[in-house]
Amino acid sequence: MSSASRIIERRTINMPMLVKVIGWLLLIEGGFMLIPAVVSLAYSEPDWIAFGASSLLTLGVGYSFNRFIRPERTSMGKREGFLLTALVWVVFSAFGMLPFLVCSSRLDVTDAFFEAMAGFTTTGFTIFPDPDDLSHGVNLWRGMMQWIGGLGIILFTLAVLPMLDHSGGMQMFNAEVTGITHDKIRPRISQTAKSLWMVYVALTVACTAMLWMGPMSLFDSICHAMGTVSTGGFTTKADGPAYWGSTYVYLVITAFMFLGGANFSLIFFCSIGRFFKARENVTMRAYVGIIVSMMLVFIIFIALRTGVNGWEDISVYPLFQIVGVMTSTGYCAPTMHLWGAWASALFVPLAFFGACAGSTSGGAKIDRLIVLAKYLRNTIKKALQPNNVTTVKIDGKVLAPETVDKTIAFLSLYCAVIGTGGILISCLGSPMVDAFYSAFSAVTNLGMTADAMGIGSGISDITSCGRWVLAALMLTGRLEVFTVLILFNPNFWHR
Amino acid sequence: MRIVIAGAGEVGSHLAKLLSNEEQDIVIIDSDHGRLQILDSKYNLLTVAGHPASFRALRDADAAHSDLFIAVMPSEANNIVACAIAKQMGAKCTVARIENYDYMAPANIDNVRSLGVDHLIYPEYLAAQQIVTALRRTWVRQWFEILNGEIMVIGVRIGEQAKMCGMQLKDFAFRHRHFHVSAIKRGHETLIPRGDDHMEANDILYITTTRDHVDDLLSITGKIEHHIRRVLIMGGSKIAIRVVDMAGGDFKFTIVDKNRGVCDMLAQKCPDADEIYCGDARDMDMLSDIGIEHYDAFIALSDSSETNILACLTAKEIGMKKTVAEVEDIQLINQAERLNIGTVVNKKLLASSRIFQLLLDSDSSTSKCLALTDAEVAEMEVKPGSRITRALVKDLNLSHDLTLAGLIRDGKGMLVTGMTQIMPGDHVVVFCLSGAIHKVEKLFN
Repeated sequence: MSSASRIIERRTINMPMLVKVIGWLLLIEGGFMLIPAVVSLAYSEPDWIAFGASSLLTLGVGYSFNRFIRPERTSMGKREGFLLTALVWVVFSAFGMLPFLVCSSRLDVTDAFFEAMAGFTTTGFTIFPDPDDLSHGVNLWRGMMQWIGGLGIILFTLAVLPMLDHSGGMQMFNAEVTGITHDKIRPRISQTAKSLWMVYVALTVACTAMLWMGPMSLFDSICHAMGTVSTGGFTTKADGPAYWGSTYVYLVITAFMFLGGANFSLIFFCSIGRFFKARENVTMRAYVGIIVSMMLVFIIFIALRTGVNGWEDISVYPLFQIVGVMTSTGYCAPTMHLWGAWASALFVPLAFFGACAGSTSGGAKIDRLIVLAKYLRNTIKKALQPNNVTTVKIDGKVLAPETVDKTIAFLSLYCAVIGTGGILISCLGSPMVDAFYSAFSAVTNLGMTADAMGIGSGISDITSCGRWVLAALMLTGRLEVFTVLILFNPNFWHR
Repeated sequence: MRIVIAGAGEVGSHLAKLLSNEEQDIVIIDSDHGRLQILDSKYNLLTVAGHPASFRALRDADAAHSDLFIAVMPSEANNIVACAIAKQMGAKCTVARIENYDYMAPANIDNVRSLGVDHLIYPEYLAAQQIVTALRRTWVRQWFEILNGEIMVIGVRIGEQAKMCGMQLKDFAFRHRHFHVSAIKRGHETLIPRGDDHMEANDILYITTTRDHVDDLLSITGKIEHHIRRVLIMGGSKIAIRVVDMAGGDFKFTIVDKNRGVCDMLAQKCPDADEIYCGDARDMDMLSDIGIEHYDAFIALSDSSETNILACLTAKEIGMKKTVAEVEDIQLINQAERLNIGTVVNKKLLASSRIFQLLLDSDSSTSKCLALTDAEVAEMEVKPGSRITRALVKDLNLSHDLTLAGLIRDGKGMLVTGMTQIMPGDHVVVFCLSGAIHKVEKLFN
């Protein structure tokens, strides 16, 4: 086909092809749902019916999309890429909530969708007050949603579906992967996706094994490993990791949260012996640097303000909490509620900027913090010396001015989304502190509620309309704003 | 296959795009960040920033583990250096683009090999070959000979007066058993026709036939063969010099160029050219001064594709029997073909023909390949045990975007029908649409 006729075709969005690909993805999701069904059956819980039925429905819809929709053309461009990526997350949550609607601990549609979206976006908000009451199947499914969403649904499908291994898949990769630039580590997009998933699977398996060696049961280890490496923060106990009260558990989870917050391509390069890549990476250095300096601040504050009741109070717990907030996991250390306002205040910038791009963590990413800092330094320098020619250099390479512009635009949009979200939720009838804190927590995918900080009362005070807004915010935050906001631009739909 | 392309210029970008659509692993190196960013955002490939002939960039691109290393920077010296480094690092096969016949001369080829350059692409040379063929066969658009002409693939545009116009393909095949219509180019589209497709006026048909029946094609398509003697070339480019060098004895060439310096250079470099004029070949006064009515063919080789197309149209109006235009913008090729420009030359397509040949058959030079704007013709040697030999052609369930046109067995050419059984050792001519060449490779290897 020649380029001219391709351009004529591109004027309309290739909906049939989109639906067909979504059909494929639903088949995958339905397949995943069978796992909790089997687990439930093994624990002889009645929930296996809920999972079995949801899985059958998902598989059925996926199959019929695939079977009965025959697109005239298979090409997918930029617009299809954005739309598909955003849609997939919504569709996955819509089908992922099915088990919650019919399982033993039943939820209504609002809460089920909210829970599913909190899972897939690895935010980790939860409707369930006590996960102890949930069946094994439900707990596993919550963990699995986070795990699938952690590295990205699209990235997973790129790795397994060869039909997306062309430029349409490229657009989806760009729409989903986080960060300023999207580094590929191998020539084809499917290979890149496979390598990243290999790293992810390896980390999860290692985390499970190490947790299992400690006091945790295998089931809890698997669920916590999935919540940790994906930096989601769902847990199987009401108290979270504190239930085990074991320093070992905290240390293992801290280590894997740290890895989950690191750039996965760097972990991949380290795994093939190219350690210098990680050593020379500015973001990685900043990541470690911020953790270390925050650690010092926390030790000083805790020693002066809170008091020390044991060596963990100034070592394991603050470290666990700092890494947990930075990587947007949102687990809580047992002594956190004692720390008070200074800690809550310090957590805001930590969660806002999050960890490294290309990781499973949320937030605006340290990469952008570095660009912002260098850009601001240049601006101030220029105020003094207007003729000074300045550039923003990252890893020894000069960033194109458009890239810097895009970063600054991103940060402004990010703040705007948080603010708008907070106002909306307040207007919909929730207390203001809760509204703003949960909007912030949703966009950054942190998933800590205000009650954990001792300044509000958490999800229970958010109205059901507010919960839909939160679900939208979580998605916007996970897809790094542009992918979602671009759909609301009229130019996207008609040209 | 892992392919590293050094240089993201016109040819490099085109190859990267094409090969990435063929599901190959592509790494492209260039020092220009902007160019790489455009490629990176559009195509499924990896980009490496750095000078393509530097050790650092080649290491970053992991040239050591490449199956094919293609150096297509503007400077041939850089290309050869890059190939030499890549080869030393461990690249399996290296290709350098050159712009000088010196490296290709049989006496020097071993020296070039020992430098680490396995194959050479010389687009200007290939273009000159195509132009000379076009001058010898004025009635065809494309002329592709396989194994000394045992099988030929001929691209010809049919007018309204052609007998086959409006005929269904199966009727045509029934009446003319010695011709296989392998592909039809209609407007913007190239299609691999099936039995119930019609042939329409202004289609370009790609017909496969054997040596003995080529001449019958003239009457079937309603074409007349002209004898060319005097040729006017617009633009004293490298291709022009090669054309004159290649066929200066058979034709009388007149070169017209606007630039005085170029004309002086031509006078020294092109002893075989009949006459050289300094001026604008689109200027009517200039043309009548030259005596345009005595010329048979017009070749437009200036830097601008648009100028070339328009100049050819003017030449057609004056009454030239054959026009050839160099059209470097791929988008414009379809337009040019619809405007009835005799033959269109494109260096990028010629270069990719050569690369596809290496892709299909990296170890030997037995296979030939021809890249059209959105389809490829390849000659493949059948290896024992390959999938293609397992059943009769009609039972192979071949994909719809490729067709088997003809084959050569024991040095004798024949056409392929549904009842043909492909044997190991045959040379088969395959047509496939762009993006399907990897399917061909799987069938034959």
